Amino acid sequence: MIPHARPKACDTVTIVGRAHLLGALRRRSRRARELAEEQAALRRVAARVVDGASPAEVFEAVCSEAGRMIRADGAGLGRYESDGTVSTVGGWRRSGGLIPVGTRSPPGEGTLAELILQTRRPGQLRSHAAESGCFAAAARQVGWRSAVGAPIVVDGHLWGVVAVGTTSERPLPPDAEARLAEFTGLIATAIADADSRQELNRLAEEQAALRRVATLVAGGVPAAKLFEGVIGEAGRVVSADVVGLSRYEADGALTVIGGWRESTGYAPIGRRLPLEATPLSRLVFETRRPSRVDSYAGVDGPAADFVREQGLRSSVGVPVIVEGRPWGVVAAHSTSDQPLPPETEERLAEFTDLIAAAIANADSRAELAASRARIVATADATRRRIERDLHDGTQQRLVSLALELRAAQAAVPAELSEHRAELSRTVDGLTSVLDELHEIARGIHPAILAEGGLGPALQTLARRTAIPVKLDMRAEARLPERVEVAAYYVVSEALTNAAKHARAAGADVLVEVCDGTLSVSVRDDGLGGADPTCGSGLIGLKDRAEAIGGEFSLDSPPGAGTALHVELPLDDPTR
Amino acid sequence: MTGLRVVLADDDVLLREGLASLFERSGLDVVGQAGDARNLLTLVYDRNPDLVVVDIRMPPTNTVEGLAAAGEIREQLPDIGILVLSAYADVEHATRLLASGPAMGYLLKSRVTDVAEFIETLKHIAKGGSVVDPAVVQELVSARRHDDPLGVLSAREREVLSLMAEGRSNAGIARRLWVTEGTVEKHVRSILTKLNLAETDDDHRRVLAVITFLDAR
Repeated sequence: MIPHARPKACDTVTIVGRAHLLGALRRRSRRARELAEEQAALRRVAARVVDGASPAEVFEAVCSEAGRMIRADGAGLGRYESDGTVSTVGGWRRSGGLIPVGTRSPPGEGTLAELILQTRRPGQLRSHAAESGCFAAAARQVGWRSAVGAPIVVDGHLWGVVAVGTTSERPLPPDAEARLAEFTGLIATAIADADSRQELNRLAEEQAALRRVATLVAGGVPAAKLFEGVIGEAGRVVSADVVGLSRYEADGALTVIGGWRESTGYAPIGRRLPLEATPLSRLVFETRRPSRVDSYAGVDGPAADFVREQGLRSSVGVPVIVEGRPWGVVAAHSTSDQPLPPETEERLAEFTDLIAAAIANADSRAELAASRARIVATADATRRRIERDLHDGTQQRLVSLALELRAAQAAVPAELSEHRAELSRTVDGLTSVLDELHEIARGIHPAILAEGGLGPALQTLARRTAIPVKLDMRAEARLPERVEVAAYYVVSEALTNAAKHARAAGADVLVEVCDGTLSVSVRDDGLGGADPTCGSGLIGLKDRAEAIGGEFSLDSPPGAGTALHVELPLDDPTR
Repeated sequence: MTGLRVVLADDDVLLREGLASLFERSGLDVVGQAGDARNLLTLVYDRNPDLVVVDIRMPPTNTVEGLAAAGEIREQLPDIGILVLSAYADVEHATRLLASGPAMGYLLKSRVTDVAEFIETLKHIAKGGSVVDPAVVQELVSARRHDDPLGVLSAREREVLSLMAEGRSNAGIARRLWVTEGTVEKHVRSILTKLNLAETDDDHRRVLAVITFLDAR
């Protein structure tokens, strides 16, 4: 409010009033300037965020803007971590030069970081001389005499602390605390956004790495290649310098079976170390839990040589548990002074889980393949036995019975012609049962296959198919039974489909052996459009081929016929 | 009665005895019975029968022992007629047997229940004839082919061809089809001409030619 002009009698009052007025004006304009500065600072930080600057760049911008605004000599940004530590994530110095960023430690007693952690309010300190903690150490290093700090609160959660300090004897202005708090309040979301964007990026990278590894696991790639892939991905995700995978041997040794090293190759694969000489691996083995070694000081023996040779300073180890037992250990190492971050164990465990799954998978895959092959072999043996029982047992019985009836028929006196005729009809009935038995036995298992081999069996199939079949048989020798049986059923099903469903006019069958594989192709000129997923016998053929380690492929475009191809290895894949 | 002297081999005792009594009842002289191929061969060399009736599947392997024994008998004593009984129809076995010469037969085991025809068949083989099971012939005749040479035959001619292939004489075919033998002769000549097969009175060669033709089609 501007005071009115007064008569001359009131000069003194006027002078006082003018001084007051000037002071008020000065304060107002300073406040306006400060607000403008603050707005400009905010805009600059916001612009960095919008430009997609990295969190480190945003944090640095926040420090520099806060420091300049308060006219301080330096500024720092600390983040409270979930493990109770505080890490320095950004810094600025008026005089230039670097602020140590990336260090973390518990907030020392009496520090600004601790004060703000407890009060969650702005605060100030006069001296950093006696404080501990990395944040205080940083302040001491740059020679701060006094400092003010403000909390960064995001969604009611204390994210971190901004501190500005001065190296001069003169303390910071009295309103520094309030102004810093105001600025920080406005900047908090931007800081948290930048941070969570990085966290999201990191998570996305980790997920991508895990997905790549999971693909390797699911793809059943050879173990060595898989381990190399997993360890490399794990190393990059946890930002380790060296990662190794070792297996616990039954004799108490530890064998290095995979490794990754940032930049260079990993040499010591295949090396064996006594377990008791390796502090980390032993700890992991005994506790079956993730463990860490922050210093190798005092370690000697073969492990010490290993550590020295590899230049390792600190390590985190996570067990690979397969079927409830410690199968091995993945160890991530740091070659710098900085120990690996506290979340390393958790992140590494995601990868060891996949390694464990891969190992269990590889075992169960082999078991599954063997069991499938056994099931098919048993089923075939059973069908063959049933066929024999029908032909050599049931048929023989029926024929014997028919012969007895014929004998009885012959013994009936001629005058009892009605009895004779009745017996004769009974034998005729038995004969038609025998015909049915032939049909059933043939459907159960082709006897010709076991006795004559694939050639005669396929010829018979071709003759019995309702459409013309051209058989090109280039495999004369007898083959392993499981291969012959699989090939037979493939051709049988394909020809049945061609004649029945595809309404083909003809089909070609090619059978040949090359490179230890029996290759069978059946091609027809029918309707096409066959789909193995639609409950046809085709899926059964695929299963049958795969059960003995073979491959099945089908090409059946609508209107262009069906081509079916299987490759069956002659060697037993389960042996 | 001067019946045919027969040696019988089948590992199923019940069936073997049943066949033996059927043979005896039908006027054949069963001079020996065997349960496996080795005993069969011993008996055949010892008794020198007119006819051998042998099951294909016999111990020890229960696969094609009977077939091998038939082959050996044919080689050592070619005058003995052989009827091989099989549990199932196998074209390859039938053609292989037929190729080893006349007086040879291949029948499904279940055919023995038609006693009269079965005994007829045995006598036919003993006289040097050849017999192939109708199931085998049926399989060969009914097989579909592109540009099938059998397409030139009439339905009746196909019927006659099937019966020829089974080893029936013209008279036998005439009886089966209820036509005169002259009509059958006419059909047979027409078939042989159409299929470009050599004409022959020898029953075995006729069967062999037809079967070989059908199998190679």
